[in-house]
Amino acid sequence: MSEMKSIKDIMMDVFEFPHIPYWFTIRQAIGIIKKSLLSSEKCLHPMVVLVFDEKYNLVGTLSLKEILRGLEPKFLKPIAKVQVPEEDESGLSLIWDTLFDKQSRAAAERPVSEVMIPTKFFVQPNDPITKAAYLMVHNDLVLLPVLEEKKKFVGLVRMVEIFDELSNAILKE
Amino acid sequence: MIINRDKPQKLYIQVFDNLKKKFESGELAVGSQIPVEEELCKIYGVSKATIRLAVLELVRQGYLMRQQGKGTFVCKRVIPEGLTMSASFKELMLEAGVSFTTSVLAQTVMMPVDDLDIKLAMPENRHIIYIKRLRAVDNEPVLLQEAFIPYHICPDIIKEDVANNSLFELFEKRYKITITKVKDYIEVTHSKKDEGELLGLSAGAPVLLLEQHFYSGDDQIMYMRTVKKPDRFRLFLEFEKK
Repeated sequence: MSEMKSIKDIMMDVFEFPHIPYWFTIRQAIGIIKKSLLSSEKCLHPMVVLVFDEKYNLVGTLSLKEILRGLEPKFLKPIAKVQVPEEDESGLSLIWDTLFDKQSRAAAERPVSEVMIPTKFFVQPNDPITKAAYLMVHNDLVLLPVLEEKKKFVGLVRMVEIFDELSNAILKE
Repeated sequence: MIINRDKPQKLYIQVFDNLKKKFESGELAVGSQIPVEEELCKIYGVSKATIRLAVLELVRQGYLMRQQGKGTFVCKRVIPEGLTMSASFKELMLEAGVSFTTSVLAQTVMMPVDDLDIKLAMPENRHIIYIKRLRAVDNEPVLLQEAFIPYHICPDIIKEDVANNSLFELFEKRYKITITKVKDYIEVTHSKKDEGELLGLSAGAPVLLLEQHFYSGDDQIMYMRTVKKPDRFRLFLEFEKK
């Protein structure tokens, strides 16, 4: 494994992804996603917006999933159940359909900080890529920030490059 | 066909010219509402962004007026030809000669939101540096300033000390980007909720709004929006014959 690349060899430039501050509304983030990700000629994967604070520190990420979750009315949020069989709650979504316009428009005025995935996990440029693979698998992530000296945000690493690199090692004769 | 894509003239200028002719000929009378963006896109066969640029320029030049929630109307307000003045840029700043204390409320990177892409005349999918500063005289906040700089113009401004340095001096002295033109738009408006709170004003209180577009050659390098407490400023302009 020692000849395998490290994070810095496969990381992406942070400017490949749109940036927004945490106080932008979900509606503003939707506008940016449509302009920067959906109408763009190149298809960026994963479709993620990076969320920053006032001092340009990365505080979270926002994907299409978080946006849709942010538009859901409260009654659709799952209730924690203890020792109760799983129920199919998709019927509730029919009520969402009738309420979509009004409730979801109001929900879209909330700041993105309420729905983003806060940045908890990161890797450093010299870390082995297996560390990124481990963090992604165990925390359900497809993208990880790369921080220099645990502070300066220098890049991003995606699951697709990690997969490519690790699979090459597996397939090697 | 109204719009000719083979012409070297930019599309939004062609739309601008065509609409202007309609106002001048009376085809679109004073007080009438112009069609909505989608309809104008169909009429001219151009994108929304092109229509927005043309309409914004017509608003700037006083041919159209926007009414929140109602639409955009043909206006009879006559704006005089712009007075061109020559002055050093330091003299152009309304705050010249006043010593401020500055708090940096934000220095970060964002995408152009709402109509910022039009105000900066840049593509909507490019990054911009956002700097928000509150300035006080004798501990009393008097102006709130937001600067928007296309990231590719000067990426290192994100790391600069903007509490103690003027953006104009950073551009000209440190980065050798000469400012060759500034367009100023000044109006009295109502403060937004957060602006009022920061300036210690009641919601909707009147404020002086200064919008500035800074150019270096043909490139716009910055758009600045400054909200000032009206009782703390007196506007002074001096014109000299060239």
